[in-house]
Amino acid sequence: MQTFLTLLISGLVIGGIYGLIALGYSLIYRASGLMSFAQGDMVTLGAYLGIFYYVWLGLPILVALVLTFITAFLFGMALERGVIRTLLKKNVIPIYIVLATIAVSYIIQNLAQAVFGSTTQWFPQVFPVANLTLFGVTNQTEAYASFVISIILMIALHLFMTKTKFGTAMRGSAMDPLAAESCGINTSLSTGITWGLAASIASLAGMMLGPMYGVFTTLGSTIGRKGFAGAVVGGYGNMYGAMIGGLLLGLAETFVAGYIDGTYKNQIAYIILIVFLFVKPTGIFNEKAIQDV
Amino acid sequence: MLEAKNITIRFGGLTAVNNVSMQVRPGQITALIGPNGAGKTTLFNCISGVYVPNEGEVILDGEHLEGKMGYKINAAGISRTYQVINLFWNMTVLENVLVGMHSRLTATFWDSLFHTKKKREEEKQIVEKAHEWLKFVGLDEYANDRAGSLSYGKQRLLEIVRGLASEPKVILLDEPAAGMNTTEKAELDVLLQRILKMGYTILVVEHDMKLIMNISDYIYVLCQGSLLAEGTPAEIQNNPDVIAAYLGGDE
Repeated sequence: MQTFLTLLISGLVIGGIYGLIALGYSLIYRASGLMSFAQGDMVTLGAYLGIFYYVWLGLPILVALVLTFITAFLFGMALERGVIRTLLKKNVIPIYIVLATIAVSYIIQNLAQAVFGSTTQWFPQVFPVANLTLFGVTNQTEAYASFVISIILMIALHLFMTKTKFGTAMRGSAMDPLAAESCGINTSLSTGITWGLAASIASLAGMMLGPMYGVFTTLGSTIGRKGFAGAVVGGYGNMYGAMIGGLLLGLAETFVAGYIDGTYKNQIAYIILIVFLFVKPTGIFNEKAIQDV
Repeated sequence: MLEAKNITIRFGGLTAVNNVSMQVRPGQITALIGPNGAGKTTLFNCISGVYVPNEGEVILDGEHLEGKMGYKINAAGISRTYQVINLFWNMTVLENVLVGMHSRLTATFWDSLFHTKKKREEEKQIVEKAHEWLKFVGLDEYANDRAGSLSYGKQRLLEIVRGLASEPKVILLDEPAAGMNTTEKAELDVLLQRILKMGYTILVVEHDMKLIMNISDYIYVLCQGSLLAEGTPAEIQNNPDVIAAYLGGDE
């Protein structure tokens, strides 16, 4: 029982982070119909931004969190405005744009290396208490905080998309850009905002990973792949599916590691993923739901 | 009020609309007709900002609109429907109308974020207003259904009312009767008159000649991208060029 609880909590913590990254993939797909390989590197970017604001500038953690969110938002929007839009205007086929996102991914990685060096940086302890025991399970305090923040972010995003005029405008632009435009919605701006949001959410995931995993230049590209898998399992393009898919993947890989074998956890988790795709190719949320949000 | 002056648009070597000028007078139904491929929808797209014309001007009450983005043209007072219906299929019928009101809302991002009194009041007002619009076209009982679940004719009505929800100066209707049955067409005739009575101005593209001759105040006929004729329904019906164009062109 104790092992089960420990694994459950660890699974939820990492799953929450996968869920956040998955959300970014889904948002981008809804808004532009594209897959961005740079999405994982937004996680790396967030982790380094966290170090920059929190360690280098010595700002309070909450201020660092907000500044990371804002900086990543601007970066994501600049990526859409500068690279993606420029290519779209040239009417290239979508796969060229996906290639461009691979380029951006490497540029971010090498840029991070140039600025912060290639050794792993340790994100200092954020809370005064290093470990926290809940339900008899002891874990890093940051891990619990990260799960709480993940859930809060998911709920906030849900409210933003369904309850605000801006969220509705973004959903409208994603569903039918032509109609949205003739309803007075600036679809180009709302696509930019979507990319910005996807980057900010991933950046926060990165900032939370920092204290647990350490910060290195390829942090995001590995974790980002997991987030992508989570988005697919949930039903690609569906916001709620992304959250649930991410959580499920986190739980699956943690339970595999705990009960079967830690060395082969990725292998087994991904075999489960492929079998899952055979059984339910549309993801957890079916076709109708995929178009929904 | 709405004026298109010497509009020309080319796609590669093809001139789709060639030097066409037309005027839409306030409080009237102006119609644009012509054989398939005459450039009617293309001209519509130039006016509503989907395409940027190569030459020419689009002027609404003295304001130049040519080359502006679609959402700015909507804000200036032109809304439209599409030949192929463009609804937000997976939003509810009510939500579709609410999105239509987008450009008339004043609550800011911060109002939404903090759920201020201004936001709450505006939201209450626009939901009421949206229900009124739905009642106007008899769709209020479907308010919470998915837009995609409506019948074809009702989808057309929803698209029209979504266009009206932004309270435009002019509404552009691209083949509103397409796919409608005889009863629905008769109802559409009445609906357009009611829209006119509310003080809106209509520019319509339509293939159904009976409907057009009944409802229009003034008609422009396009043929192969150029203006073939213009006049009242009676004049158009007796114009030999128009009759030739409709009965088989050059032969």
